[in-house]
Amino acid sequence: MKKFFLVFALLGTLQAKTYTKDVVMPNMSFSIPVDKNIIVMQRNCQWCHSYGYIINMGKQNEAFWRHIVHKMRDTFKAPISEQDEKIVLEYLMKYFGKQD
Amino acid sequence: MNRRHFLRFSAVAATSLYASQGFVTQPKDDQTVSEVAFAEKKPLITYSNRPPLLETPIEYFDRAVTPNELFFVRWHMPIIPTVKWIDGFHLSVQGEVENSLFLSMKNLKNDFTPVEITAVVQCGGNSRSAFHPTPVGIQWGNGAMGCAKFKGVRLKEILEKAKLTDNAKWLLFGGGDKPVKADIPDFQRELSIHELRDDIIVAYEQNGEDIPFLNGYPLRLIIPGYFADSWVKQLDSITVTKEYTPSFFMDVAYRMPKNGCRCEEPQKKVKESEPLSWMEVKSVIAKPKNHAKYKAGSNIQIKGVAFDGGSGIAKVEISLDGGASWKETNLGKELGKYAFRVFTYNLKPLNKGKLTIMARATNNKGQTQPFAHEIGWNHGGYAYNGIDTIELEIV
Ligand code: HEC
Repeated sequence: MKKFFLVFALLGTLQAKTYTKDVVMPNMSFSIPVDKNIIVMQRNCQWCHSYGYIINMGKQNEAFWRHIVHKMRDTFKAPISEQDEKIVLEYLMKYFGKQD
Repeated sequence: MNRRHFLRFSAVAATSLYASQGFVTQPKDDQTVSEVAFAEKKPLITYSNRPPLLETPIEYFDRAVTPNELFFVRWHMPIIPTVKWIDGFHLSVQGEVENSLFLSMKNLKNDFTPVEITAVVQCGGNSRSAFHPTPVGIQWGNGAMGCAKFKGVRLKEILEKAKLTDNAKWLLFGGGDKPVKADIPDFQRELSIHELRDDIIVAYEQNGEDIPFLNGYPLRLIIPGYFADSWVKQLDSITVTKEYTPSFFMDVAYRMPKNGCRCEEPQKKVKESEPLSWMEVKSVIAKPKNHAKYKAGSNIQIKGVAFDGGSGIAKVEISLDGGASWKETNLGKELGKYAFRVFTYNLKPLNKGKLTIMARATNNKGQTQPFAHEIGWNHGGYAYNGIDTIELEIV
């Protein structure tokens, strides 16, 4: 216990002297439409980036969105189950989809 | 293994992603500025907060140096460590070197010769929204770029201190942002030692201040003339290797088709590709704003910036007749071969109706910007440099 205190005390003084920047990220969020499937989007698509990435693509066809979801799964290792993949695609097509 | 032979990752590409032919237009310019400002920034066009993706509104490209608070922001990973305890920050130089280095900011500032360079940093995907069908990636307008005066230390001087061994072939640069899971590809960048030159620096200042947190505080790799994907932010490690180290962001992302036109069909990705590197000649019109209305007979000043990969700008011309004839603009002072060069042109339109204004830059190698429609589509939507075009309404 004593040891811990010592380390903390030391760090405390060092940091107090040398803190140079206080960076606070603003509180903002990019929201997407809420429906019964939002929970599937929440559990699959907001770990690594905001929904801003989805919104920024604009309306796209199904092949495009399927490519994105597969890229997230295969390249970026997002653990998306087959069941969830279907629902995510359905959701994306409903709100961010277009026909060719 | 070298870059050319490393094609394994590209097999991931889908085949039937696009139905239509590829074509290229003007990028979008109707984005709105966010109400929320990020640390050390004015409110900018904001595509994401996590990681932050901020674009500079077009009207700020009316000057040669982009202020830090307006400078665009692009990170790849959601976890960006805040370096608050600056005395604990180090740049390590390891691998095929005789002396491994562990440099503090004080070492860098005191033990090396400070150098300055004014250079444009431009995201490889800047203006991507010009490409149709939509290439996968952030749909930037023209504002994923900026020009700043960077101060720091020559990379060569650091490597001289470290003394490269005879085996040294590649330099791997590591930055601070981290993926949320260990198996997600981390962002890193690699240079061949043949790409080393005197003007590559490890910078600790941007426009006379510490590098802004969102632009890579406390250290950023500056590679003048190269696209921004090589300008590693929050640089904390340089690993010198004998063999090329494959990585997602070198071998899959940020690659251009390697053929004459640097173009490909949406349905058929070209097999051979190469990493983005040198920027091509480009210019943008900052003012007036596209679709602005003016009374006939009023004085209008066209203003913008031009740049290229380092040969410097020879001239910028304006066309008022759809590209049939061109008139030279006035060029501002040259702050360096890699910097933005301001151009201005005054006109007084008398006829009512629509007035199309085009700007076209030519560099010192004689290379000129193509029309947007002459540019070939590429799957990453990289390296757009079409002749910028706006339309005014004269009433
Ligand atoms: C495991 C991390 C992770 C998860 C989970 C994830 N993504 Fe991504 N996503 C990424 C990364 C990494 C990028 C590229 C980031 C960059 O370059 O800025 C990206 C980029 C994107 C883009 C921009 C286009 C592109 O490919 O660069 C879209 C759209 C996108 N993701 C949608 C989704 C959707 C939809 C989901 C849910 C199915 C999802 N993401 C889940 C990691 C993830």
